[in-house]
Amino acid sequence: MWAQILNALLGIWLMASPSILGFEKVAANNDHIVGPIIASFAIISWWESTRVVRLYNVLPAAWLLLAPWVLGYQSTTPIINDMLIGALVTGLSLVKGNITETYGGGWSAIWKSDSLHAREARKQPRV
Amino acid sequence: MSEKEGIPPGWSYNPAAWGQRMPIVGLAMVGFGIATYMALFQLKVFDTVWEPFFGNDSRKILTSSVSELLPIPDAALGAIGYIADALTGVIGGTRRWRTMPWIVIMFGLAVGPLGFISILLVILQPVMFDAWCTLCLCSAAISVIMIGPAMDEFMASLQYMRRVKDAKVSLWKAFWGYKEVAGKVI
Repeated sequence: MWAQILNALLGIWLMASPSILGFEKVAANNDHIVGPIIASFAIISWWESTRVVRLYNVLPAAWLLLAPWVLGYQSTTPIINDMLIGALVTGLSLVKGNITETYGGGWSAIWKSDSLHAREARKQPRV
Repeated sequence: MSEKEGIPPGWSYNPAAWGQRMPIVGLAMVGFGIATYMALFQLKVFDTVWEPFFGNDSRKILTSSVSELLPIPDAALGAIGYIADALTGVIGGTRRWRTMPWIVIMFGLAVGPLGFISILLVILQPVMFDAWCTLCLCSAAISVIMIGPAMDEFMASLQYMRRVKDAKVSLWKAFWGYKEVAGKVI
């Protein structure tokens, strides 16, 4: 979970950094769009049942590594900022963390047959 | 044992327990308060809006073209969303993932779009209007925080619906919690 807290903070930093460090318009817009997306996916994955959402952050983080070159940033600071945050978020989104509770087989148990919840339900007496 | 406590089969806890649901309902009520306050400003009941950090920015955001896209102010729509979350969060007992899947599934579906629209509005603030609105950010944070904890119960209900389907019992009757289904599927 600590990894996803860090990712949420990195997303919020991305939202704030254009004003704090004074970025050019194109870099500011990109960070203002990608920042809230990364922060939201990270916050949703704070909980165990939705921890899988952390992986959704790989895509916006990979975009941060490409954006300075695709959008053609002029100054160095936003380039370093985007590349650094992109690398950190990619790495941290792969950290699963501890899962202490059991969830009847999780989300995939909804479309897979004979999963944990189905086997457990068969053991219980009918009312 | 687990039947009495309402723990779904294969789970280590009951996602429909009050301790699980009340924090979400509480957050929804806080969100409802914030959204109602902003809506009252947009309806010109209040002349000023509280903004501790960004000067005149909140006024700029709350009177922007985007906020007036719909017949009712966007914060009023947010307030309706929060009250829907609170109601669908509070209705039903601690076995509601099985006894009334319709309300749990509505709860799960109500939480999602509210969070999505909040994130969209947070992106539009700096990109379109070059401004930030503190209360809008607080409301967005609340709606995003609510998504994760609401999803476990949603998952339990969908797993239950899967067992109903495998038992070849009517999904329709199970969804609305018909009594006759209760004995057939756990």
